Amino acid sequence: MMNISLRLRRPSRMVDGKRMRMTSSFQRLLLTFILLYLMNQVNSQKRGAPRDLKCITNNLQVWDCSWKAPSGAGHGTIYEVCIESRSRSCYQSEKANAKIPALLPGDHEITINRLYDFGNPISKFTLNEKNVSLIPDTPEILNLSADFSTSTLHLKWNDRGSVFPRHLNVIWEVKILRKENTEIIKLVTHNTTVNGKDTVHHWSWASDMPLECTTHSVAIRCYVDDPHFSGRKEWSDWSPLKNISWSPDSQTKVFPQDKVILVGSDITFCCVTQEKVLSAQIGQTNCPLIHLDGENVAIKIHNISVSANSGTNVVFTTEDNIFGTVIFAGYPPDIPQKLNCETYDLKEIICTWNPGRPTALVGPRNTSYTLFESFSGKYVKFKRVEAPTNESYQLLFQMRPNQEIYNFTLNARNPLGRSESTILVNITEKVYPRIPTSIKVKDINSTAVILSWHLPGNFAKIKLLCQIEINKTNAVQELRNVTVRGVENSSYLVAVDQLNPYTVYTFRIRCSAETFWKWSKWSNEKKYLTTEAIPSKGPDTWREWSSDGKNLIIYWKPLPINEANGKILSYNVSCSLDEETQSLSEIPDPQHKAELQLDKNDYIISVVAKNSVGSSPPSKIASMEIPNDDLKVEQAVGMGNGILLTWNYDPSMTCDYVIKWCNSSRAEPCLMDWKKVPSNSTEAVIESDQFRPGVRYNFFLYGCRNQGYQLLRSIIGYIEELAPIVAPNFTVEDTSADSILVRWEDIPVEELRGFLRGYLFYFEKGERDTSKIRGLESGRSDIKVKNITDLSQKTLRIADLQGKTSYHLVLRAYTDGGMGPEKSMFVVTKENSVGLIIAILIPVAVAVIVGVVTSILCYRKREWIKETFYPDIPNPENCKALQFQKSVCEGNSALKTLEMNPCTPNNVEVLETRSAVPKIEDTEIISPVAERPEESSDAEPENHVVVSYCPPVIEEEIPNPGVDEAGGTSQVIYIDVQSMYQPQAKPEEEQESDPVGGAGYKPQMHLPITSTVEDLAADADLDKTAGYRPQANVNTWNLVSPDSPRSTDSNSEIVSFGSPCSINSRQFLIPPKDEDSPKSNGGGWSFTNFFQNKPND
Amino acid sequence: MFLLQSRASCRLRESPEEGKVFTEGMLMNEERGVVPLLLVLHWKHGAGSPLPITPVNATCATRHPCHSNLMNQIRNQLAQLNGSANALFILYYTAQGEPFPNNLDKLCGPNVTDFPPFHANGTEKTRLVELYRIIAYLGASLGNITRDQKVLNPNALSLHSKLNATADIMRGLLSNVLCRLCNKYHVAHVDVAYGPDTSGKDVFQKKKLGCQLLGKYKQVIAVVAQAF
Repeated sequence: MMNISLRLRRPSRMVDGKRMRMTSSFQRLLLTFILLYLMNQVNSQKRGAPRDLKCITNNLQVWDCSWKAPSGAGHGTIYEVCIESRSRSCYQSEKANAKIPALLPGDHEITINRLYDFGNPISKFTLNEKNVSLIPDTPEILNLSADFSTSTLHLKWNDRGSVFPRHLNVIWEVKILRKENTEIIKLVTHNTTVNGKDTVHHWSWASDMPLECTTHSVAIRCYVDDPHFSGRKEWSDWSPLKNISWSPDSQTKVFPQDKVILVGSDITFCCVTQEKVLSAQIGQTNCPLIHLDGENVAIKIHNISVSANSGTNVVFTTEDNIFGTVIFAGYPPDIPQKLNCETYDLKEIICTWNPGRPTALVGPRNTSYTLFESFSGKYVKFKRVEAPTNESYQLLFQMRPNQEIYNFTLNARNPLGRSESTILVNITEKVYPRIPTSIKVKDINSTAVILSWHLPGNFAKIKLLCQIEINKTNAVQELRNVTVRGVENSSYLVAVDQLNPYTVYTFRIRCSAETFWKWSKWSNEKKYLTTEAIPSKGPDTWREWSSDGKNLIIYWKPLPINEANGKILSYNVSCSLDEETQSLSEIPDPQHKAELQLDKNDYIISVVAKNSVGSSPPSKIASMEIPNDDLKVEQAVGMGNGILLTWNYDPSMTCDYVIKWCNSSRAEPCLMDWKKVPSNSTEAVIESDQFRPGVRYNFFLYGCRNQGYQLLRSIIGYIEELAPIVAPNFTVEDTSADSILVRWEDIPVEELRGFLRGYLFYFEKGERDTSKIRGLESGRSDIKVKNITDLSQKTLRIADLQGKTSYHLVLRAYTDGGMGPEKSMFVVTKENSVGLIIAILIPVAVAVIVGVVTSILCYRKREWIKETFYPDIPNPENCKALQFQKSVCEGNSALKTLEMNPCTPNNVEVLETRSAVPKIEDTEIISPVAERPEESSDAEPENHVVVSYCPPVIEEEIPNPGVDEAGGTSQVIYIDVQSMYQPQAKPEEEQESDPVGGAGYKPQMHLPITSTVEDLAADADLDKTAGYRPQANVNTWNLVSPDSPRSTDSNSEIVSFGSPCSINSRQFLIPPKDEDSPKSNGGGWSFTNFFQNKPND
Repeated sequence: MFLLQSRASCRLRESPEEGKVFTEGMLMNEERGVVPLLLVLHWKHGAGSPLPITPVNATCATRHPCHSNLMNQIRNQLAQLNGSANALFILYYTAQGEPFPNNLDKLCGPNVTDFPPFHANGTEKTRLVELYRIIAYLGASLGNITRDQKVLNPNALSLHSKLNATADIMRGLLSNVLCRLCNKYHVAHVDVAYGPDTSGKDVFQKKKLGCQLLGKYKQVIAVVAQAF
């Protein structure tokens, strides 16, 4: 229109140049108006007719077509719908729809017109099946029920199949909602077919969540899948929702309860509660909560693990409580393994099996077993609720009469599943008899018995194979198999022969069916002693003449039990000579020898053993021996447990060889034992428990001819040689300066313990306490060894020795068993006299020569020697400083005051040389004398020894004016050598017994200055005092008074040198520098000292 | 298994074991079956208020002479129960699995509502009557627990053994208490009540009720043993 209007405005501008074009535009506009008008007319006609025809069908038989009514159509309008075909059919309808029968495939012309409304056009439609929609009717749920224990919904509906003309596939869709219909948790399809009649369908669904947990709603719809229908097929509408809910009581509960599920499954637990749940856990594991309706919560467990016996606890915790449930996660029963059916007694079948993998379910959830026998239709059940799980699995099935083949099926079942195992058995081949009982033995004779036993069961239809085990002492076990026919009364007996008389047997029995399946267990043992029989052989006899040769002693051995055949009561001994037999005596059993007085005739001695049944055959032996002049004594050594004797075969020997033996140290008649060897033998091993190693035995081999024995060989031997137990006793016969002759004795046989093979003689230099020959076998080079293998040699001379030398001699014997102990001796060879003489004479001659030369020299130089070694000593009395009122030598008892006047000695010589270091003992001898003058007097004068002088050292000069004034003396303190170097404290006894007390010079020390009494005593002996007056520096020391205590006990017999009384005495004074030396010798030089004092080592 | 009655009345005189003095370990096998039977006959669901004791003038006779030192026997039995109660409790809740051992307050708390009361400061007669009710209650409950555990924990042999031993002592104690009541106080009839039956309950409830009962038992027996 705008275009037109624009065109209408523009012509005024184009009037002049475009007249022709303006004319054509107008024509177009006119044509447009005309066209619009015509279209409006057509549309107005259409609005007056039915339009938009649509057809649907819900049963494929009737199409429900509807259309839009014309605008003018009001109430009461009747439509006529006609299907234009060969046979035109019309349907009238007051509504804008009409149900017409389903049309065949292809286009169909449908006319719809309003009746009684003639001015309106008829609507025509082309209708094809393709344009028709197939929409089934909305299905209706007949019933929705729930099994809460299994959390299963059961749905029931009607498919209304009768409305459909033919078989059709129908798809049903079921939806399940939770959480107040807000959450579709399951949408499943279910295919069915309709077959022309109404059918009620069932559908069940197990919820993963217990139905108690929340409300479950279910709706259903369907879809008809008709392949012949070419139109559009659509789902029906959803049916109305049907709800399933659990009506909870006021208590909080947890679901599912006590459920048994497979290990590894997923499971949902919920708690239906009014309280707020705080947490949930399975066992010890917390789980996230899933909130359901209200306060209800759930948890989901994936891959649940196996439960303990009491189940797995699932709990929900609220503020003040815990609610829970128990779940049992386990396994379905395993296939029963090792199913085995057998019978003990052919009355009852026992089937055993192994359950296989544990199910982890116990109590009421435990596996139950049913043993079903298909031929008889019988079954037995096995169910344990409270029994421990380690019980054996077995079922007993009573045997059916006349039925041998059984087909067993063992069914195992528990809440999680079932399994089975089958076995087909011929029960007569599966007999496992019980233990035979009531074993009894009854005699038949001495070598046979009847054995009876009881075997429970009815084995009348089969034969039994039984095994009898026969044991006797020291014999190999014997097994005998016997087959017996089965009996109903369970009593069986068999005869057992080939037994030995008077023998204890132990029997036991086991049985099986002849068609062997299993042996029964062994019965208890039954001991039985068979009856006696006569002894089968005579006793083994031997004879020995007594030492005086007048009596013959008959020995015999007790019969072995297998030959005695009973208890031997006695033995009969008889002798015969020239067909004349004389019974001598009956010897009761424990005795096994008899002594007979016989002359030198050759008697035949018989010995017979008797038991309660009878006598044995006689054993005979001749009393006399067949002489043998060619007899040698041999040696033999055994093998540790026995000894092997061999000899040459001698066909002349008609009866058994006899070897007898005895201990060689025993007196005659010597018989330990004997052994008989068959005449065809050439060797014998002699063994005996009585044999001991190291003991010498005599063995005698006798050959036998016509019951007469001849000694063939005499052998001495040892079972095992040992080393001698003692050493040979040896002595020294002769000794010279270079040799020793040794003699030894034989070792007694008992102590030799083997055949002597020789002696070993060792010798070396050495003294008794220092030399010991050790390691004789080690081959020391300083030990000389002589091996003496000549056993007849009893002496040995050892030559090439050194004179006057101690030698260590050792002798030992040896056997093949080893070396015996050693015996040793020390011998000193004699001195070589020529050498000794030479050794003495040469030193004597030298000494004489030296003495002569020295004497000559001394004589010639005597003046020089005198001046040099023995100058004149000035007289101390000439010294005013030492002037006493009276000479001490005069024995004046009054004390003399030492006047300290200047004194010039005539001649004092001081040697600078260090004196020889004295022994400590010397000084110690002196010390106590100085300290204990009164004790010195007790000393034995004879024990006094000369002691050296030690120059005193003035320790301290104590001025004592008072004393000086009173006594007119000055005090000088001397110290002896000992006091200079730690005087040793000596026990008083030692001091008293000290032989030097008071002898020789006594250093004055700590003298009691005012000891008047002592002084007096000293004065009394003054003339006897021979002590030296120390000469020294007068400024440093003062002469002790001659009446000092030491001087009092001076004995005139004491040899003293350098006495102040002796003007000829001369002393070497030791310089003061030596005073500190503890070894300084306090003694002066003298010849006596020279000889008496030991040189310092 | 247990019959439900609105009110339980136990005629002690009718008990086959009436008057017999039990000592520890003296119970014979047949008694184990009789006492639960009696308890069955007097089952009461839920709390039951005990009826008054027999009037003083009621006749009371025991079939066997009572032990001269009955109170000592009772004390010893109580001490024995008290000594083993905790071990039984531990053994029980351990056998129930997690989370029982770690949630004893909520799962095994002594929340037994209808448990017979006990007054330690009452007279000896009152205390004996109350003790009788308690032991009767505990004996029945212990029977339930033993039965449940044999099914639930068939391999827990030590638990079974301890439950049986406890039940044995309780039966002896019950008999001794009866003797004492009958001889000294001439009480021949004490109304008793029993706890809830667990046979119809789910496994968790069985476990929980058993645990609560044993917790209560452990608590009460200490008080009772102390009171005697």
